[in-house]
Amino acid sequence: MKPDSSVQAATLPRPPGRPVLLPAAVMRYVQAVARYYPVALILVLWELCSRLGLFDPLFVPALSDVLRTWYIEMFVTHDLLVHIAYSFGRAGIGFAMGATVGIMVGILMGRIRAVESFVDPLISAIFPTPKLAIFPLMMVFLGIGDASKIALIFLGCFFPIVIATYAGVKNVDKYFIWNARTKGANARQVMWTVVFPAAMPFVFAGLRTAMLTAFLLIVASELIAANEGLGYLIIFAQRTFNPTLMFAGVLTVSTMGFIADRLLQALGRRLFRWQDQQER
Amino acid sequence: MTGQADGPHISVDRVNKRFQAANRAQLQALKDVSFEASRGEFISIVGPSGCGKSTLLYIVAGLLDASDGAVIVDDKRVTGPSPDRGVVLQNFSIFPWRRVIDNVAYGPEMRGASRQERHRVARQQLEAVGLTEFAEYYPRELSGGMKQRIAIAQMLACNPSIFLMDEPFGALDALTREVLQDQLLRLWERDRKTVLFVTHSIDEALLLSDRVIVMATRPGRIKEIVPIDLPRPRRSEEIRALPQFGALRKHIWTSIRTETLEAM
Repeated sequence: MKPDSSVQAATLPRPPGRPVLLPAAVMRYVQAVARYYPVALILVLWELCSRLGLFDPLFVPALSDVLRTWYIEMFVTHDLLVHIAYSFGRAGIGFAMGATVGIMVGILMGRIRAVESFVDPLISAIFPTPKLAIFPLMMVFLGIGDASKIALIFLGCFFPIVIATYAGVKNVDKYFIWNARTKGANARQVMWTVVFPAAMPFVFAGLRTAMLTAFLLIVASELIAANEGLGYLIIFAQRTFNPTLMFAGVLTVSTMGFIADRLLQALGRRLFRWQDQQER
Repeated sequence: MTGQADGPHISVDRVNKRFQAANRAQLQALKDVSFEASRGEFISIVGPSGCGKSTLLYIVAGLLDASDGAVIVDDKRVTGPSPDRGVVLQNFSIFPWRRVIDNVAYGPEMRGASRQERHRVARQQLEAVGLTEFAEYYPRELSGGMKQRIAIAQMLACNPSIFLMDEPFGALDALTREVLQDQLLRLWERDRKTVLFVTHSIDEALLLSDRVIVMATRPGRIKEIVPIDLPRPRRSEEIRALPQFGALRKHIWTSIRTETLEAM
C-alpha cells in the first residue's frame, strides 16, 4: 500500500533531536540565565547596601564577604565540603529508601485491592502529621546520629511518592492495558511495559515533592541535633556570632536545592518527551 | 491458525452479558446473541448506541467474560485474550511512550523476539500501512488517521488470524476515513482474515462486509443478519453507484432507525 499524502499532514515536526546550530543552543542558555535577572538584581542591591554602610555587618554581612568565606570553607579548609557530604549522604539515603519503598507500595496499592484497602487508611491517617513532630520520638529510639535523620527523611519522602505512584497506577487508561493483553502480554509484562511507563510522570512529580521535603527535613533535623551537616553549620555559626559563615551556609543550602530541582526537571523533560507539552 | 477450513472460525453461542448497574438493578447488555463467522469472512456489526456491539466484540476478544454462553474459536472456548485474535480499539490505544516502530514491534517483543527480528517485522507492517518514514516518531507527533494505521500495523505484527475492530475509524474525518477504508479493503483482499468490524456507519459496513449484523437495544440482541452480495473486489466510488447498494442501505437504515427511535 502506498502512503496517502492526503492523510499525512504535510508539515510534521521533525522528531526532537540534538540542536544542530550552536548559536541557537548558546542563546537558549543565555535566555535561561537571563530569566533570573531579579535574583541577580537583589544580590547586587545587597552588596551595594553593605558597601554604603546601610547594613550592620553583625546582622547582614556583605555578599562579597559571604562569598569569600564560602570559598575558603569550600576549597581551602574543605570544612563546608564535609558538611555538604554529611547532609547529602543522609538526605540521599533517606530519599532513595523512601523512593524505593514508596514506588513499590504505590504500585501494589494500585494493582491489588487487598493492599489498597489496608494501606490507604494508614496513609490517610499518618500523612497529615508533620514528620518533624515525630523527630524527637525517633531520636529516643534511634539516637541523635544518622539513623534518626535518615528515618525522618525516609518518612518525609515515602508519603508524597507513595501517593503519587498510587494515583498514577490508578489512572492508567484501561484501553492501554487491554491493548497490551490482546498483543499477548502477560501480567508481568503489562506491569513493566504499560502500567509503569504510564504512571511514570506521576511518580516523577512525587519524586520532586519528596526531594524538596528531604532538603527541608535534613536541615531542620540538623538544626535540632547534630554534630555535622549544613543545618549544624548554620546553627553553630549563629551560636558563635559568625554571621558570615551562617549566610554562607544558607546560601549553600538554597543553591543546592535550586540546582537539584532544576536537574530533576531537566531529567523529567528528557524522560517524558513522549508527552504532550501541556500534559507535563 | 489451525488447518480446519470447513467448520466456523468463530462461533458465538447464546452469549448473555449482564452488568451490575449502580442502583442494584441488573443491566442486560447482551441477550442470547448467537452467530457464526466462517474463515475469511468480513462481518460488520451495526446498531444504535448502547446495543452492546462493543461489549460483544470485547467478549469475542476475551477482554470481558460472558455472563453465560460461549465463544468458540477454532473449536476452543475463549477464556482470555490471545494475539491470534488481533484487536484495534476505537480510542487510539497505541502507547504514547513508545516510538512508532516500538509500538508496532510490541507483540513480537512480548513473545520474546530479538530486537532485530521484531524491528524487521515492524518495518514490514509499517510499510503495509504506508508509514515507514515515521518509525522514529512518537505518537503525539502524528495525526489521528496515522495513529489508527499504527494501531492496525501493531495488530498485523502479531499475525492474527482474526481481526476484531471496534469503530477503528470512528474518530476520523470523512476523507481520512474513506482512505483508511480502502486500505483495509485491500489488506483484507490480500490476506483474507476473518474480521468482526463494529461501526456506526452503514455505508462503511456495506462497503467492507460479506454480512452485516444489525443489533437492537434493551436488551442488546441481534435483530437480523443481512448478507451483502455486492461484487468484489470493491472500490468505494464504484460500489456506492450500484443500485443494490442503495437498496441495502435503505433496508438496514430502516431497521436501525426503528431501533434508534425506540431507544430515544
